[in-house]
Amino acid sequence: MTTKALIIDDEEDVRFVVQMSLGRLGRMNVVEAASGEAGLALAKSEHPTFILLDMMMPGMDGMATFRALRANPETASIPIVFLTAKAMASEVRKLETLGAKGVLLKPFDPLTLAQEIEAILAA
Amino acid sequence: MISAALPANEPARLAALASYSVLGTSPEASFDDLARLASVICETPIALVSLVDETRQWFKSHIGLDATETPRPVSFCSHAILEGGLFTVEDALRDERFADNPLVVGDPHMRFYAGAVLTSPEGMNLGTLCVIDHRPRVLGDEQTVALSALARQVVVQLELRRQIAERTAAEERLRESQARLQRVFDGSNDGFWDWDLTTGQVEYSPSFAAMLGYTLDELAPRISTMEALVHPDDRIRVRNELASQLEGQTDQYSSEHRMRRRDGEWLWLLARGKVVERDASGLPLRMAGTHSDISTRRRAERELDRFFDLSIDLLCIAGMDGTYRRLNPAFETVLGYSTAELIARPFIDFVHPDDRAKTIAELEALRRGRKTIRFENRYICRNGAIKYFAWTASPAPEEGTVYAAARDITDAKLVEETRLEVDRLKRDFVSTVSHELRTPLTSIRGSLGLLASGVAGELTPTAQQMVAVAERNSVRLIHLINDILDFEKLESGRVEMDLRPTPLQRVLERSIEAISAFAEQEGVRIELQRSAATVIADETRLGQVMVNLLSNAVKFSDRGGVVQIRARPVRNQVEVCVADRGRGIAAAKLHKIFERFHQADSGDSRVHSGTGLGLAICKAIIEQHGGTIDVESREGEGSTFRFRVTGAREVA
Repeated sequence: MTTKALIIDDEEDVRFVVQMSLGRLGRMNVVEAASGEAGLALAKSEHPTFILLDMMMPGMDGMATFRALRANPETASIPIVFLTAKAMASEVRKLETLGAKGVLLKPFDPLTLAQEIEAILAA
Repeated sequence: MISAALPANEPARLAALASYSVLGTSPEASFDDLARLASVICETPIALVSLVDETRQWFKSHIGLDATETPRPVSFCSHAILEGGLFTVEDALRDERFADNPLVVGDPHMRFYAGAVLTSPEGMNLGTLCVIDHRPRVLGDEQTVALSALARQVVVQLELRRQIAERTAAEERLRESQARLQRVFDGSNDGFWDWDLTTGQVEYSPSFAAMLGYTLDELAPRISTMEALVHPDDRIRVRNELASQLEGQTDQYSSEHRMRRRDGEWLWLLARGKVVERDASGLPLRMAGTHSDISTRRRAERELDRFFDLSIDLLCIAGMDGTYRRLNPAFETVLGYSTAELIARPFIDFVHPDDRAKTIAELEALRRGRKTIRFENRYICRNGAIKYFAWTASPAPEEGTVYAAARDITDAKLVEETRLEVDRLKRDFVSTVSHELRTPLTSIRGSLGLLASGVAGELTPTAQQMVAVAERNSVRLIHLINDILDFEKLESGRVEMDLRPTPLQRVLERSIEAISAFAEQEGVRIELQRSAATVIADETRLGQVMVNLLSNAVKFSDRGGVVQIRARPVRNQVEVCVADRGRGIAAAKLHKIFERFHQADSGDSRVHSGTGLGLAICKAIIEQHGGTIDVESREGEGSTFRFRVTGAREVA
């Protein structure tokens, strides 16, 4: 079954790159959301295999979206991988403790993105 | 024989007798004359001035008798003093009291005795003026009167004698007292003056003159002498101060003023004195006083006063009750309040409300005797501005005061606060840049990477080249940004190092793995000497250092070259060497190699971290590990980079 990815990021270009990278190269089905709220709605309706969640977003930011996803029984079990530009080891650990499946740093290598995510999901 | 009983007032009587200091003294003409007169008038061979002491009767005068005393029990006079007046025994042999008295039966064979008692003005019976005969007699009326009169005269003589003795003793005491006083004055170098206000005469002591450089005879013993010597500027004040004492307004005359020395110099003196004699209406008759040289003290005070006034720091004396007693001018200058305003209120009123509690606590500690060192608080100036002070204070419990000095540290605080603000801004900037720059770079790098991969369709060779160029440079940009941010964090110490015992071998192997593709590409071999050492390190960061050093080593090696990694223990550290036999580094550039943005070889972009920050970052990381890093190199021969970090006992 094709992996369905949900990318939640306010940057259009980033979503495009992810679409190209995961969709074309990674042969995944990619759905896009431009905000936390839209992401929540899509997560419920699309039941993605995993969610790629940007940390810094205006309005409902990454953490708020994460909590909301976790709080909702319909979406609570979907693995979430954070996308972030800040990479302090302590922050990464904190996120993992909170229940994130993994953390990916921006900018990522579009050619290896799919493998990296698969490795994270398999762990 | 019957001995006389003791008079009722015997102790007082004996004391009165003693007060004449006459017992045991030599005969004197005045007493002998009176006795002789008694003997002539009464026609007796013997006349005595007899004083009855505790155990004897002692004769001040003894006419016609060789003895100077006889025991009291056998004395006739002891009977006489019991009654006073005239005591007569006409025939001792017929008187049962005296019939067998040794003085009657034997020498001097007394038969007749008549004694007129010597009664002191206070009524004490001291003894008698008595006349004695060897045959029984009776005195005529006129003889009786005369004897009594003569006895009174004896008392007069005794009184005179006593007064003279007392006066002499008093004079002696006075002389001794004056001598002692003079010794004190001489010892203290103070001058003494004694002013007779009725005549204007003043007696000056030699020390008074000496203090001013004169000899005593150079100073006229008049009050005008002293007045003329006073400094013109002080004259009016001195006159007023003297007048206050003369008129009785002050308890003591005390005046600090200048007097001219013989050599023309001015001498600061403390003059003190008191009116010692006034007439009935209270007018002063005599005044005496001293002069002390206070020039040293005044000089010291002046010197200290000058510093007190000059000081930029705030200097003050405050009471334990929380009010200022004395302030230096700096208070006015810095706070803008006048000294009067500052003294009028408890000083806590001027302290910033938020700092009042701790200031009160500090004052409490001072009260208990603890010194204050570097206590900081804020004051509010008259114009509302806030100033920071650093206080040092010392309590003087015996005076009930606190001595304190404060430095205005507002500027320093401002600098500190600005620095903190700047740091915060920098941190925020780093944070912002971190996100802001990386986001568009994600898109750039992503798109270029995808393009290059052919996912959007096949590219012409030229297009491929262009995309490759663009991608390469966007990656380089990313690395540069990473390095800058990384270095900034390292340098400001904000990177958390997760230092823990780490097997060195693992770090080395992983770093080799990381650059293996690059090394292979360059045709350079990596040689690792196995290490069993354990180091205290942040594995990721140490790995970063190794990757950096290895990348450089590979970059600078020729094709077919070898890079060697060796580790060895050095005392409590572990030393790791990365050695290459490549180009080497010019001696001139060697000492700068760990500096920021230094490029040993500019324009060479083979290495993925050609940012010039690589070694600076390595140094920062190693130093955060508490270690050291350095390099040896010879141009054309190669370089060895060496770092040391703390070692640990091996982890099992």
